[in-house]
Amino acid sequence: MISTLTLRRLVTISAITTLVSLALMVAGMLFPLPLLLVLSMSLGQLFGTMSLVLYLLAIALDLQGVGEHEVLADRGTKPGEG
Amino acid sequence: MVALASAAISVAILVWYLVRRPPLERSTKVLLLFGLGVMPIAVAFAGNVAGFEYTLQRQFCSSCHVMLPYTEDAADPSSKSLAAIHSRNSSFGGESCYTCHADYQLFGAMTTKVNGLRHLFFYVTEYSNTGPYGEGGKPIHMYKPFQNGMCTRCHSMTAPSWRGREEHAGMLEDLEKGDAKCVDCHGGADVHPRAFAHGGSGRGPTASAAQGGKP
Repeated sequence: MISTLTLRRLVTISAITTLVSLALMVAGMLFPLPLLLVLSMSLGQLFGTMSLVLYLLAIALDLQGVGEHEVLADRGTKPGEG
Repeated sequence: MVALASAAISVAILVWYLVRRPPLERSTKVLLLFGLGVMPIAVAFAGNVAGFEYTLQRQFCSSCHVMLPYTEDAADPSSKSLAAIHSRNSSFGGESCYTCHADYQLFGAMTTKVNGLRHLFFYVTEYSNTGPYGEGGKPIHMYKPFQNGMCTRCHSMTAPSWRGREEHAGMLEDLEKGDAKCVDCHGGADVHPRAFAHGGSGRGPTASAAQGGKP
C-alpha cells in the first residue's frame, strides 16, 4: 500500500528534478553556447515536465486518500468508522 | 529577466520545502504547484524564446570554430565578399547567417532549427578535433542547394536595376524555374572567400599572408 512517506518521496524527487531542470534552463540562458542551449531546451525541459508529472501524480494519489490508513491507525480507528 | 526572476522564485520555494520539510497541507501544495509548475513553465517559455532569438545571431554561429572562416569574414568591415556586404546591412546584418540560410517555407524556422541540431551532431562527432579554423575537417557544404528564393526575397527580379543588367538578360525564365541559380554566378568564393570549400585558408588576408601568402 502506498504510504504518506511515498507521497513525500515523490514530491522530494519532483523538487530535486525541478532544481536540476531550472539549473539547465538558466545555464542555457546565461551561457548560450550551442551544446548548452540544446541541453537546456531538451533535457532541461524534459526534467521539468517529468517533475511536474510526478508532483501531479503525488497530488492525485493524495486526493484519492493514499496514506489515510496511517492517519487513522495513529488515531486508533478503522477506515470507515470516521 | 522574467525567466531569471521566475527561476529564483521557484528555487526559493523548492529549497524552502527541501530544508524545512513542512507537512503537505493545502497551502504547501499550492506553493509547490507554483514552485514546480507555474514558475518553471514560465522559465521554459522565456528560455525558449530567448534561446531561439539568440540562435538567430551571427555571434551564435561563430561559437563553433569551424564557422570562423565564414563569420570572421562576414564581420570584417574591409571585406568585399557578398557575405560581408550583406552583414553590413543594418536591418539584418547581425542575423545575416540565418537571414540568408534559413528555410522560409511553412515551418521553415523549425526545419532550420532541426538542421541546426544536425550541425551540432556533426560538429561534435566530426569536427571537434579540427584546427582552430576547422583545418583538417571534411569540407563544409550545405544540406541542399541554395535556393534562388533566398536571394529574391530581397533582390526582386522585376526591378529595373536587375533587369537592366546585361548578364541577366535571357536568364529570367531559367531563374524562375530554378534551372539556373543565382549562386552559379554569385556564389562560392564571392560569398565566403575564406572558406576551405571555396579555396580559402580559413583566415583573413593578413593572417594568410603571414602564413606564406596562401589565398
